[in-house]
Amino acid sequence: MSNTKRLALQAILVAAALGLSYMERFIPLQMVIPLPGVKLGLANIVSLFALYFLGWRSAFVILILRCTLGAVFGGGVTALMFSLTGGLLSMAVMALTRHVPFFSVYGVSLCGAAAHNIGQILVAAFTLNSVYIFAYLPFLLLVGLVTGVLTGAAASACFAALIAAGQEPLAK
Amino acid sequence: MDKNLRLKFRPGDLIAAAAIAVLAGAVALIFFTGRSTGPAEAEIRQNGELIDTIPLDTDTEFTIEGDYINVVTVRNGEIAITSSDCPGEDCVHSGWRSTSGQCIVCLPNLVEIRIVPSDGSAYSGVDGVTG
Repeated sequence: MSNTKRLALQAILVAAALGLSYMERFIPLQMVIPLPGVKLGLANIVSLFALYFLGWRSAFVILILRCTLGAVFGGGVTALMFSLTGGLLSMAVMALTRHVPFFSVYGVSLCGAAAHNIGQILVAAFTLNSVYIFAYLPFLLLVGLVTGVLTGAAASACFAALIAAGQEPLAK
Repeated sequence: MDKNLRLKFRPGDLIAAAAIAVLAGAVALIFFTGRSTGPAEAEIRQNGELIDTIPLDTDTEFTIEGDYINVVTVRNGEIAITSSDCPGEDCVHSGWRSTSGQCIVCLPNLVEIRIVPSDGSAYSGVDGVTG
């Protein structure tokens, strides 16, 4: 892939991830599960795509830009700390679990969702200066099992369509 | 097709799901065992400091002021943040809590309301959490 094409694709993916994060605010998931931090994590579809089709370096660049711009557009410093810590931990775990031979995209997505939850709870524990916030973690992890499968399914469908359209995934 | 791209759900993915469920169970065990059904009180912390301890057997209403204002209500042995001017109002949506080990958190206001047994046995379950 030429550098220009890669740069353009990264920019498009940052925009797509921002759009997905914004859209998911209108899905009232917290009405069903009234816990702070519960969300679908649709932007993770973009992270998974970047990881599988552009490589981990591009995936991290896109993630950092997405979190920073998200904080600029609305959210501020606190939101940046939460999204960046959760996002970086999640991306690191997904970049590694991608190479586990018995995991499909679903397994990678599940591990990413769990890592994201753990990262956010760590920031919350640090912010509140208390370990008792970890009592929320079991609930977030269980919700993450469901949302992880959902985003995994969405990513899987995207990948299949893109490969059918001639897009080449990375070998490693 | 590239064998590194595994799109279909595989039995191996269940290992990831099971590991996450076990982790959730383990953390739940640490925090929710030894909960007492006896009389409870609520410890109110702001920025990590204990600012008040409220018995749950007396109905009352008060405010916690910080960057935002939380209105806390105690009624029929339960406690809730009943209104707040923080963004999101996750604390209000948490609803009513009454059992030892439960907590209500308002992150924007750095407030944590933790329910503990009145007999002081609150911390018998955990000596410490590391890592």
